[in-house]
Amino acid sequence: MPGADKETDLSERIEAFLADLKRGGSGTGPLRGSGEMARETTALLRRITAQARWSSAGDLMEIIRNEGRRMTAAQPSETTVGNMVRRVLKIIREEYARSRGSSEETDQQESLHKLLTSGGLSEENFRQHFASLKANVIEAINELLTELEGTTDNIAMQALEHIHSNEVIMTIGRSRTVEAFLKDAARKRKFHVIVAECAPFCQGHEMATSLSKAGIETTVIADAAIFAVMSRVNKVIIGTQTVLANGGLRAVNGTHTLALAAKHHSTPLIVCAPMFKLSPQFPNEEEIFHKFVSPHEVLPFTEGEILSKVNVHCPVFDYVPPELITLFISNIGGNAPSYIYRLMSELYHPEDHEL
Amino acid sequence: HGCKARPLILASCQISNMSSRGTKQKKGNVTNEQEEEDQPLQAVLIADSFNRRFFPISKDQPRALLPLANVAMIDYTLEFLTSTGVQETFVFCCWMSNKIKDHLLNSKWCRPTSPNVVHIITSDLYRSLGDVLRDVDAKTLVRNDFILVYGDVVSNIDVSQALQEHRHRRKVDKNISVMTMVFKESSPGHKSRCEEDDVIVAMDSKSKRVLHYQKTQGLKKLQFPMNIFQHGSDEFEIRHDLLDCHISICSPQVAELFTDNFDYQTRNDFVRGILVNEEILGNQIHLYVTNEGYGARVSNLQMYDSVSSDLVRRWVYPLTPEANFTDQRGQGCAHSRHNVYRGAGVSLGHGSQMEENVLIGRDTSIGANCHISNSIIGNYCTIGDNVVLDRAYIWNNVHISNKVKIHQSVVCDGVLVKEAVLLNKQCVLAYNVVIGPNMSLPEGTVVSMHHPEEEEDDDDDEFLSDDQVVGNSKDKTKQKAFNPAEVGSEGKGYIWKASLDEAEDEELAQCIWGLVLNPDPDSDSESEASDGSQDMGSRSVSPEMDDVKVFQLEVLGTLQRGEEENIGCDNLVLEINSLKYAYNITLKEVMQILTKVVLEYPFQQQGTKLSSSQYTVLLLPLLKKWSPVFKNYIKRAQDHLDCLSAVEELFLEQETHQTAMVKVLMNMYQLEILEEDAILKWFSAGATTDKSRQLRKNQGLQKFIQWLKEAEDESSEEGE
Repeated sequence: MPGADKETDLSERIEAFLADLKRGGSGTGPLRGSGEMARETTALLRRITAQARWSSAGDLMEIIRNEGRRMTAAQPSETTVGNMVRRVLKIIREEYARSRGSSEETDQQESLHKLLTSGGLSEENFRQHFASLKANVIEAINELLTELEGTTDNIAMQALEHIHSNEVIMTIGRSRTVEAFLKDAARKRKFHVIVAECAPFCQGHEMATSLSKAGIETTVIADAAIFAVMSRVNKVIIGTQTVLANGGLRAVNGTHTLALAAKHHSTPLIVCAPMFKLSPQFPNEEEIFHKFVSPHEVLPFTEGEILSKVNVHCPVFDYVPPELITLFISNIGGNAPSYIYRLMSELYHPEDHEL
Repeated sequence: HGCKARPLILASCQISNMSSRGTKQKKGNVTNEQEEEDQPLQAVLIADSFNRRFFPISKDQPRALLPLANVAMIDYTLEFLTSTGVQETFVFCCWMSNKIKDHLLNSKWCRPTSPNVVHIITSDLYRSLGDVLRDVDAKTLVRNDFILVYGDVVSNIDVSQALQEHRHRRKVDKNISVMTMVFKESSPGHKSRCEEDDVIVAMDSKSKRVLHYQKTQGLKKLQFPMNIFQHGSDEFEIRHDLLDCHISICSPQVAELFTDNFDYQTRNDFVRGILVNEEILGNQIHLYVTNEGYGARVSNLQMYDSVSSDLVRRWVYPLTPEANFTDQRGQGCAHSRHNVYRGAGVSLGHGSQMEENVLIGRDTSIGANCHISNSIIGNYCTIGDNVVLDRAYIWNNVHISNKVKIHQSVVCDGVLVKEAVLLNKQCVLAYNVVIGPNMSLPEGTVVSMHHPEEEEDDDDDEFLSDDQVVGNSKDKTKQKAFNPAEVGSEGKGYIWKASLDEAEDEELAQCIWGLVLNPDPDSDSESEASDGSQDMGSRSVSPEMDDVKVFQLEVLGTLQRGEEENIGCDNLVLEINSLKYAYNITLKEVMQILTKVVLEYPFQQQGTKLSSSQYTVLLLPLLKKWSPVFKNYIKRAQDHLDCLSAVEELFLEQETHQTAMVKVLMNMYQLEILEEDAILKWFSAGATTDKSRQLRKNQGLQKFIQWLKEAEDESSEEGE
């Protein structure tokens, strides 16, 4: 039975992805970059769309929502996964609306009147069957994938607008987006980069090696020296794990220190974050906000007796409040933190915020 | 012992699944080598500990299923294997195999989507790691390098590096390396180091080859054979800072070697055997030392304590309690600061504090003003008001009443702890026990619903099938009432060995908590004996016992085998002679030891509780059977006297059996082992101490001597 075979193949893939998510991030967070994670999630969702059994948009949304819930539960700190699920749900809504022939993007700004009159609009309306819906949704997901492919390049392209000659730039840890951003600017301009090492994982060391290989003048400093060095810095450019709904960040440990130091010296703080990192999550959701990994990096397991006498913690993320951030650079341009809520409402349907 | 081999169970759907995968893979391959690389990685998981460290607990539940941070131990092991890329796991169960099978069939490992295909193989005949591996070989289950673990290993070590090194070594010098053991660096004194497993390893720094391997427990002195320093490369290391993770990467030859050497019981035997025979067989063992990741085996309650606390402190990330890696519904919990984990539906009373490192399972309710720290509480428990828990491991469905205090103890499923009970350190309350109210259990108390005597009854056969044990226990519980002084006025359960004196109690507590080993003396001597016969050379390596002692054990082993396999006396003499030369024993000692061993033989077989008459009944046929052996050694007059003094010595020790002595002497005289002159001479001259004088006043003995004298007179008269 080829149908059954397909289905087991699909569920095997999903299980493998879930298991990967659970094991992922034994050290510094994701083993893969979040860009790759976004692409993988989207590709898997496309596969589900193509291979799962569904007859109407409502069914499909239910399937995707279910799988999405499991995926986000598997690794709550990996918000990209949930974001991509929401993007795909939004795509299905749009494609369904288009198939029905209703106005496509006008209901983006629903008037108060419309909200009041459209009482039971949501679920029943997705029951209608359209033969072309599957192809359309897959087509739209493919477009999303193409968009994801280009995000880093799109961000890097804007580098020359922000980095000028002989500037001193500070960054922390290793972000693939920032790396590409700086390397792009280095093709035309000469500038100096200071990298905070970002203990205890010290991804900053990798970042510095990679930048100096690209011919950029690079200095590594300890995290404790951030404030001391800040007075010489013209700009701080950092990456992030997640952009929260209020415009704040959930970024690697030590970023808050860096942002406060930058604020104190009135140094502009620029965050390079592709759109897929925008998450409709607020910083008060404590339980899924934090991620604690093995304390091995802080106090090695080999230490012996002392381990039974002390408690060691190794958190991975910091919260950076929006007022410390000057500018977001995403693949669609630069935005102020106060504009994030608006971008969010364009990206996701409000009903999908809770999966 | 009446054990029947159960038919081996392999789920047929899994086999078909496996074969389809196999064919898929073979199509793509062109050369043999590639095929070797691409074959699915296999693992052998032994879901039985073959010892009784967890005993009163493991009577009701096999060790692999005991909850560790609310997840069965075997799940950690399977998750570890799956995450290292194992695609096919053989789970071997013996004790309570049905429970393990049920657990696995309901777990995510047996779902069709599992990347790791689990085969369950059960048999009541497995008694050791060696038996399992011999079965692996007999069934040719493994085709390539495989990972060997126990069902109680918790680890997140990435062994792919070790695997690569292992494969590389095997490719470079054809099949010389048979095993790579994974060790983790951790300095001595680390709480997660198990004292039983402490080892000293000498290895070649460059090739990581193991040169010498020695367990250090109980040793004050260590000796290294010189030859390990002489040949080999210029650099080597002697390390004691290693924690045995009990993860080994084995070549298929390992199973074959276990078959060839039927006396290998444990991995320790194997490693020692390989090292001793290295020059002959050319096999080598290597080491993989890592300082990343976590790996430990829950080999006793001490380790249970430290591994649990490591889990809660997130050392085994990503195998943390909130990760719910087993995919059980409702098992998930939320992690908040100070490593406090709360499951779904947990309720906490007013003023209760969860200080740090606390895990609480689902639907557990906790009363007011409780103080909980460093503890793990299972699912569906109720805990009263004003309770203090510190390092308490409370399993599922436990009821704890008000004002209870528990320190560093294990409380199993279904236990009821009544009001104002105090559990001091290292207590164990096994399944369904009731304790209290208003009492305090001293340190190291073990309470179980099984009576300790019923356990002694089936001591000789610890692998009885479940139903037999259950049947036994029902009879016993009816017979014996609970002692309210021990378990409280409303209590139910029996204290294990607490009725004995303090020292014994202590020993038990330490034993179960893993500080001191107290192995079954019988099995110990057996393994020692086999150990020795298989590698005499290793004696010089490990002088834990003096030669005479070893020789005695060897002789015992030889005689046992002789009796079991009906070996002729000539051959026995031959063996004893060769042993004599091997251990450099004088003829006098040989005789004394031989006498001693033979006379103690019934005790050795049946225990020391024999009555004198039973003893003689058992001994006399043996004497008759082995009389040629004696005659071979007892020739000169002095020999007779030595033999007699050995007999005397033995019976001085076994005072209760002195009546048997006469019969023994009589018999030996009749079998012409001893001459009457010698006996008379011994009787008249031998007494040097008070005790031996006492012995000679024995009525029976005097009659015997009398009779002998008369007989002599008669014969001399006749001669004239």
